[in-house]
Amino acid sequence: MAALRSKKIKYYFIFPSIIWVLAFTIFPLIYSLSLSFFKVRLGKPLTFVGLFNFGRILGDYKLVNSLRVTLVYVAVTVTIQVILGLLLALLFHQEMKGKSIWRALLILPIFCTPVAVGYLGLTLFYEEGGPVNSILMSLFNLKIPWLSSPNWAWVSVLLLDIWQWTPFCFLVILAGLQSLSEEVYDAAYIDSSSEWQIFRKITFPMIQPVVIIVLLLRLIESFKIFDIIFSLTGGGPGTATEVYSLYTYRTGLRFFDFGYASALSYLLLAIVMVIVNLFFRRIREVYE
Amino acid sequence: MAVVKKKSPIFNVIRFILVVIVVCWALFLLYWGVVTSLKPPAETFTISGISIPFVQFKPTAENWKVELSTRESRSALINSILVAIIASALAMSLGTPAGYALARYRFQRIKNRDLTIWFLSQRVLPPVAVVIPFFLIMRTLHLLDNIFALILINATFTLPFAVVIMRQTFQELPPELEEAAAVDGCSDFDAFRKISLPLAVPTLVAVAAICVAFTWNEFLFALALTSLKARTFPVYLAGAEDTRGVQFWFIATRTILAMGPPVVLALFIQKYIVRGLTFGAVKG
Repeated sequence: MAALRSKKIKYYFIFPSIIWVLAFTIFPLIYSLSLSFFKVRLGKPLTFVGLFNFGRILGDYKLVNSLRVTLVYVAVTVTIQVILGLLLALLFHQEMKGKSIWRALLILPIFCTPVAVGYLGLTLFYEEGGPVNSILMSLFNLKIPWLSSPNWAWVSVLLLDIWQWTPFCFLVILAGLQSLSEEVYDAAYIDSSSEWQIFRKITFPMIQPVVIIVLLLRLIESFKIFDIIFSLTGGGPGTATEVYSLYTYRTGLRFFDFGYASALSYLLLAIVMVIVNLFFRRIREVYE
Repeated sequence: MAVVKKKSPIFNVIRFILVVIVVCWALFLLYWGVVTSLKPPAETFTISGISIPFVQFKPTAENWKVELSTRESRSALINSILVAIIASALAMSLGTPAGYALARYRFQRIKNRDLTIWFLSQRVLPPVAVVIPFFLIMRTLHLLDNIFALILINATFTLPFAVVIMRQTFQELPPELEEAAAVDGCSDFDAFRKISLPLAVPTLVAVAAICVAFTWNEFLFALALTSLKARTFPVYLAGAEDTRGVQFWFIATRTILAMGPPVVLALFIQKYIVRGLTFGAVKG
């Protein structure tokens, strides 16, 4: 058995990657952790401040705001994307002409540069005569303050994000559906169960593992949201759409408060780790 | 397919209409970008609604000519291309042997599965968590505004793709060929290089394409670590608003130029997208 081979060469194969990750991920993380105990100013010596930066987290209302914005954003977009993705996958999971072409077109949003999506959104949701408002105006005599009202700015971010990532959920769930064996269905149809019963009792339980993977991947990626918000709203109006990444980025690289920004990144890392851990057993099974 | 009971023709028509609507929805943003980039600047705001070319206005290539003849635009494009290709090549050449080792050998101290998950866990890390240390490190190394810094970072973030998907690819190749070669006195390295690697080339190319697309789309690090000289196209795009006001025809031309390469790449790797984007957890 090949798996039993245990020669030295395997280390030559894998060590470059391990060292690379240690150097470019683990080292920066440790560096960042140590920074969080200091007051860091460019061109000046570091001042040790102990847990001061972490203490600041407790009284930072802007942080609380960005955390709230991020959590709501993640919960809402991921839920909608997974549900829509599932519905679309069911829609496509039938015989139809040109299916692979339709599918190929439908998944193009996944590959669109997110920051560019945000800028296109800017032109799309432009309030005076942008295409969305001009259509709404002629149909319902409605003018929506897409980017100037905090709530609507939120909606426009959500719309773009859902537009971009629903196809991902769709694609993966469809792949899950197509891998199901057909015999089960044949049996179910002989028993003439209703469509809804077949979905609830057979299809859904069988694709549940795939749905969980989609959910996990979307959760992880959603916490990283930065680009679309940077370009579409810049976190505004006010701080209505200032997500955690954007707040951390600004703290560190606009206001050069590196120590505090490092403390902030560790909080985000902790939150994401907690969520991923909820799925850990499932992840281990996949890579058995 | 046996999956489906015979559906009535009406059902099929409704479904077809739904499919068309969904696809139009998915393509609308791209359509809007292309159309806006073809509008004469003077008419940008006078053409209303979804702006059907030839019907509502006469398309012009003027914006594209201006954009492509701008020196900054070209240099940003070149930076993007260099970073994407070199970073992906680096990630693939590090990750392919690692994936092979995880597929074909057994590691004792840390199990193969846990090593794989360790590589994967790099993708969990929110990039913003390391952008500050990277900024300070690159500043110390005098690599700010240098594409070399972006190449290193993007290779790091795409490496897990390479390792995990190549591992799966090698696992699916039958080991018998290599065993036969070993009996004939072929060394382990040659078994990898001459037997397994050539068989894995299609996946390798597809994974590299996914890495290129991801690197091309990367924005946060490019924004933090570059200014004028080394900026990639997305960062150049982000500067557009400040420098030229709300000039939609420029924004549209640039967004389409930014999205074009990854979108076109995606069309060529259909078969591998599911596996690629789910790190092999779901097979397409």
